[in-house]
Amino acid sequence: MVVRTFEEEMGYLEKTSEYSWRIKKGFQPNMKVEGVFYVNKNLERLLIEELRNSARPGSVGGFLPGVKQIANVAALPGIVGKSVGLPDIHSGYGFAIGNMAAFDVSDPKAVVSPGGVGFDINCGVRLLRTNLFEKDVQPVKDQLAQSMFDHIPVGVGSRGIIPMTARDLEEALEMGMDWSLREGYVWAEDKEHCEEYGRMLDADPSKVSMKAKKRGLPQLGTLGAGNHYAEIQVVDEIFNKSAASKMGIEAKGQVCIMIHSGSRGFGHQVATDALLAMEKAMKKHNIEVNDRQLACAPINQSEGQDYLKSMAAAANFAWVNRSSMTFLSRQAFAKQFNMSPDDLDMHVIYDVSHNVAKVEQHMVDGRPKTLLVHRKGSTRAFPPHHPSIPVDYQLTGQPVLIGGTMGTCSYVLTGTEVGMNETFGSTCHGAGRSLSRAKSRRNLDYQGVLDKMKEMGIAIRIASPKLVMEEAPESYKNVDDVVNTCDAVGISKKCIKLRPIAVIKG
Amino acid sequence: MDEPQEPRDEDFLVQPCKYEYLDHTADVQLHSWGETMEEAFEQCAMAMFGYMTDLERVEVKQVHIVEAEGEDMMSLLYHFLDELLFVFSAEPFLIAKVVKIVEFDWDNFKIKARACGEEFQIGKHSQGTEVKAITYSAMQIHDRPEVERPEIFVIIDI
Repeated sequence: MVVRTFEEEMGYLEKTSEYSWRIKKGFQPNMKVEGVFYVNKNLERLLIEELRNSARPGSVGGFLPGVKQIANVAALPGIVGKSVGLPDIHSGYGFAIGNMAAFDVSDPKAVVSPGGVGFDINCGVRLLRTNLFEKDVQPVKDQLAQSMFDHIPVGVGSRGIIPMTARDLEEALEMGMDWSLREGYVWAEDKEHCEEYGRMLDADPSKVSMKAKKRGLPQLGTLGAGNHYAEIQVVDEIFNKSAASKMGIEAKGQVCIMIHSGSRGFGHQVATDALLAMEKAMKKHNIEVNDRQLACAPINQSEGQDYLKSMAAAANFAWVNRSSMTFLSRQAFAKQFNMSPDDLDMHVIYDVSHNVAKVEQHMVDGRPKTLLVHRKGSTRAFPPHHPSIPVDYQLTGQPVLIGGTMGTCSYVLTGTEVGMNETFGSTCHGAGRSLSRAKSRRNLDYQGVLDKMKEMGIAIRIASPKLVMEEAPESYKNVDDVVNTCDAVGISKKCIKLRPIAVIKG
Repeated sequence: MDEPQEPRDEDFLVQPCKYEYLDHTADVQLHSWGETMEEAFEQCAMAMFGYMTDLERVEVKQVHIVEAEGEDMMSLLYHFLDELLFVFSAEPFLIAKVVKIVEFDWDNFKIKARACGEEFQIGKHSQGTEVKAITYSAMQIHDRPEVERPEIFVIIDI
């Protein structure tokens, strides 16, 4: 391991335009391709600061900064193009969060890495619309928030209320949202507005450990904790009227519901199991990586295939999970307004996955190639006319849902041709943390954060008091900075801005 | 999974707190120490449970025996914490107030521990932060004589 000073490290980084930086080969050992990251001035400062803090020789503890992690990913076998850091990037384990990388499926050496997907497989965001307006919801928003909180199990140790047996779970893992549809929890048209139509076909529950299933069963239909949430939001600004109209968003003040959750303990265990299996596979296939958390296996070997099949099962779990909460949210609204969810026009606008690996077709050096695209804390953003996006969005481009954090705005973006060429059709996923959780708890005051929420007119229901500080807007990068950077670079375009009026959290 | 056992007298002995939570952007880094490596391991487990709930409110009502095995010290620590996370996440949903290592096999990297606590109940126990997984990220295990007391750093994904 070479120890370099901060100044020496900076020699490997080059600012290539107002919003992009190049990471040259040599920044980390064995880089097969270069790295790139997109930031504006504010985000740049945070990233460079992270690098500066890590370049202190002899310190105990510590962790790898995001830019180093982008470079480590660039050293993985079979990577094509560049290792890409999106504007919300921050240090994760193995891959940074906000990192995407594509691998050539036809290259026998190319790898799949569970660290490139994350522990929360198919963590994602779903947006429902309603035909209600802010004036309808404001007077009852506290009751609504309480009702959503009562309907949706949240926080550590909560258990699902949707009746499930072990056999149901097996079917749900295989069928994804088709299971939810069969059981009557979702509408047929909900599926249309999900990536992969809410079902990964290569899911194979037999590749999943008993341990994962045991963790998953009690947690299906639960929101989770940490950064997961359900929010009632209102449209704050419309940037692209015709695209918004295609999504059923007509005017400012219209009420939406956003659900941010993933595959719960099931996915966490699938990822844990895979990391351990891959450590062995790396020895067997003689794969060397720069970081133990980058455990990986060749895509076309049994270890790689087994992971992709169990990952697909976890992805299906996540869709069923978000669907179950969609059902519960519709119930909560229906009861409050004494109208059916159908009459409230509570359709799914879209559902995105921001922790997943997918086989996709992309152009590489002017030629079509089949790639395994890892997106960790990164959202797919396909352009108009792409065959993988639903008919309703063929002209607008894929809706991309960017969740804010407690009290900050969220966005709907649309995919672009630029993104397709520059980042394999990928963009950011959220705000991305800037303060550590421990620091947030030390520096922020519980009552202060809650008072501020109240001042902003946001009703809040939260299971864990600690989370109030950890998830406070001050703990995150400014989501406006993140989204504006993506918009300026052109890898996705702003369509709708949403402002929260009620937050339900673990 | 073994049947739960009745707690013995020593299972009620709450260990002194020898852990802290360090800064990490997305997750949390557990830092624990002890007079012995066993104690540092136990303290690391307590640090994990302490992040999920306020341990003051947990009573020792049942004991589960947890076994873990690794190929080296790091993987042993990883599996030890992972097994404890599992008894919390699925049946018996055990939140441990005391974790005591009864066997620590240094040659074959095996641990047998008593996890003493009770079933997690919303309402009785406070809801802290959910731990998704244990990670190898920046994992460090330091022992004498390199440092003055055994010390552990683990990042947990939350």
